[in-house]
Amino acid sequence: MLFYLVKRLGLSALVIVLVVLVLFSLLYLIPGDPATIALGPRATPEAIARYAAKMHLDEPVWRQFLIYIGNAVTGDLGVDVFSDRNVTAVVASRIGFTLALICASMGWAVLLGLPLGCLAAVRPNSWLDRITGVLSVGTIAVPSFLVSIWALLIFAVELRWLPAIGAGEPGDTMDQLSHLVLPAFAVGLSWVGYLARMVRASMLEVMAEPYIRSAKAFGLRPRKIVYGYALRVAILPTITLIGMGFGGLISAAVFAEIIFARPGIGKLIYDAVMARNFPVVQGAVLVATAMYIGIVLLSDLLIAWLDPRVRESL
Amino acid sequence: MTKPTLSRRGFLASTAAIGAATMTTGWPTQGRAEMGKVLRVRIDGDNNVLDPGFMVGGSEVEAQKQCLPFLAEYVQEGDTFTWQPTHYVTKLEQSEPTRIDFELVEGLKWSNGYGTLKASDVKFSYERMKDSDWAGYFDAMDHVEVTGDLTGTIVLNKPFAPFFMVTLCHGPGAIVCEQAVKDAGGKFTIDFPAVCGPYTYNATPGQRVVFELNPEWTGPEPGYERVEAHVITEVKASELAFDAGEMDCTELSPDTLARYAENMPEDADITTAGELQYLWMGLNTEHPKLQDVKVRKAIQHAVDVDSILQGAYSGTSTKSNGIICPGLLGQRQQTNYSYDPAKAKALLDEAGVSGLELTIRTLNQQERMLTAQIIQANLAAVGITVKVLPVDSGPFWEMGMESKGDNWQELELWLMRFATTPDPYEATQWFVSEQVGIWNWERWTDEEFDRLYEEGIAEPDTAKREEIYLRMQEIMDETGAYVWINHEPESYLHRADIEINTAPSGELNYRRFKPA
Repeated sequence: MLFYLVKRLGLSALVIVLVVLVLFSLLYLIPGDPATIALGPRATPEAIARYAAKMHLDEPVWRQFLIYIGNAVTGDLGVDVFSDRNVTAVVASRIGFTLALICASMGWAVLLGLPLGCLAAVRPNSWLDRITGVLSVGTIAVPSFLVSIWALLIFAVELRWLPAIGAGEPGDTMDQLSHLVLPAFAVGLSWVGYLARMVRASMLEVMAEPYIRSAKAFGLRPRKIVYGYALRVAILPTITLIGMGFGGLISAAVFAEIIFARPGIGKLIYDAVMARNFPVVQGAVLVATAMYIGIVLLSDLLIAWLDPRVRESL
Repeated sequence: MTKPTLSRRGFLASTAAIGAATMTTGWPTQGRAEMGKVLRVRIDGDNNVLDPGFMVGGSEVEAQKQCLPFLAEYVQEGDTFTWQPTHYVTKLEQSEPTRIDFELVEGLKWSNGYGTLKASDVKFSYERMKDSDWAGYFDAMDHVEVTGDLTGTIVLNKPFAPFFMVTLCHGPGAIVCEQAVKDAGGKFTIDFPAVCGPYTYNATPGQRVVFELNPEWTGPEPGYERVEAHVITEVKASELAFDAGEMDCTELSPDTLARYAENMPEDADITTAGELQYLWMGLNTEHPKLQDVKVRKAIQHAVDVDSILQGAYSGTSTKSNGIICPGLLGQRQQTNYSYDPAKAKALLDEAGVSGLELTIRTLNQQERMLTAQIIQANLAAVGITVKVLPVDSGPFWEMGMESKGDNWQELELWLMRFATTPDPYEATQWFVSEQVGIWNWERWTDEEFDRLYEEGIAEPDTAKREEIYLRMQEIMDETGAYVWINHEPESYLHRADIEINTAPSGELNYRRFKPA
């Protein structure tokens, strides 16, 4: 297990270094002078020179890369071009909002998707299975930004049941939760379908296993068989899917954060791209990537912990 | 003592329980910001640099207008913008062409214990601007003389008529507290080191800025006790928030403006701040295909600007007749050319040109692309084949600059939009001879134009200035290097019971908002 952990951590570090390399290269792949692009067409030569010095653009590219890597390792992601704020602090102030959105989205998707998948698998080809199938495919097919807009139009503009923009009054938990409902609904909806289909397929496979047949032959209650034995095994591939799904949710969160004007790492990246604020783009993407890799790693470790077969094969 | 353990079963069970508890927790549907004394507006991003010397502009200027002193402010008289002294001064007058005398109101306090507003603050604020990113606005200023605690004189190095409108009323004209800025290290970014205005400033990056009544303010009271400026990047999201009753005032996108103009929401109104942007199609007069002025004039006659205004801008923008925008001295009522495809064909025949192929470059933006496509169709009708080339903003803003390579030699046609300040001088400065290869991408020079540019800056007589700027635009038309398209408005949707106040360039001034 320890060897497995070390191996996965090493691979994760390698992926992060590659991401840093790509992010760093982007600055030079974009046509035009980085300083002029960042500061706008009418920036004075003095401002351009100040920016170039601040970003180490006057150094050789390989040296700039080493400086960036060296700083990133120590947690220094650079300085915001415009406000001089530390990028690490800027990203830290936003990441909580994105994590809350992702967790709430995946949370309700799991709570609804898992039972739906189980019910569909227990009664295959029944009307419930068919309805679940249609709904699942339907929710998977609709992109989250479209759900965001419709949810906003229906529940905020027309019905005025829920707030349309922002993250709620700082310090007011209930207000913040109310501001989380629509974005979480929009971002998580497609995952209800994904999870239901995934759990159904896994459950059908497990329910055909000999030990389930034996359990039935011993006269165990169906609820005990489904939730006590079958789901425990069928859930394992779903945990991997959920882990990878968090990465997808980070992307979906970008749209939701823009449409609902929520602070978060997605909106931060979008705003920074629009403003050509390269240090913030690099820092925020790097943190989002690290977050994704961390979650996938966590889900793999979780599977190893939950499934003795996986643990023993390591 | 029991040691806490976590089994696999326990993990699955507790995860489900926590999720279920989250889902069943109630949340309020009411209790959001109350209407009445709170004004809710939009800003399109965080204010990163509030320091007037190093700001980006836009909402940073809006914040400065609430929290920092200014000597002059914009005022609209009929269809024209002019200026008036602010409530920070008891006197602001031009005693000589190069001397502007001022006297500050006594007893206006800076926050954080920095004492009262003094003439030395004005001197510090304006003289430091000469070494700032906005130094161009102070080129005409030599120095500031302090003649007393509250009195002083701004000394110009040459007569400069636009100084009030371009410099004193706009963001760079903000006055900062000398001691507070020095204590902050000579520059500030996301917070004011001291304020002297009706509101205090409190920003939560990524979320909002809250302006609350400044308890130390002794000047005129603003119309609202609290202003919440929400950070909403996308204007469409802000429009939806207005529809949801969560915003009191928001900027409008051109297509939404057209929709609202036809079907105004209940209890809402639209105010147009100004139209200080000018869009044109430029022609490179040095390009071999466009060196003949007859070809350029043929293109002027071939473009149907009215169909662009309808097709690309939904009829929401004003037709342009030159670089001077509506409401400014020197705005023209018509151009020297008109849409006339027959005349365009005749001019091409006269020039002996057929099968002409050109490329039009534009920023990859919805309205601009539609404009380029309409021009493409218009020119096809007179036998000119046009390729539309969308360009990203990085290379776009460099393509006519000699200092950035040789791309300027390939430039044929392009769509360009500049924003300006409420004085005609600003718009004309980019087209003088010394700007060829910098911002004069059309690459023509004219001695009369250059001379008139200098005369316009120094001329104090309004009528004479108007004549100068009208003539300068005639010269531009005669080059055949321009097809004027439109002036896009800065429009705001707001509750009908709010009287809003904006600068001509579109910045909101919350302190001058009033409940109607």
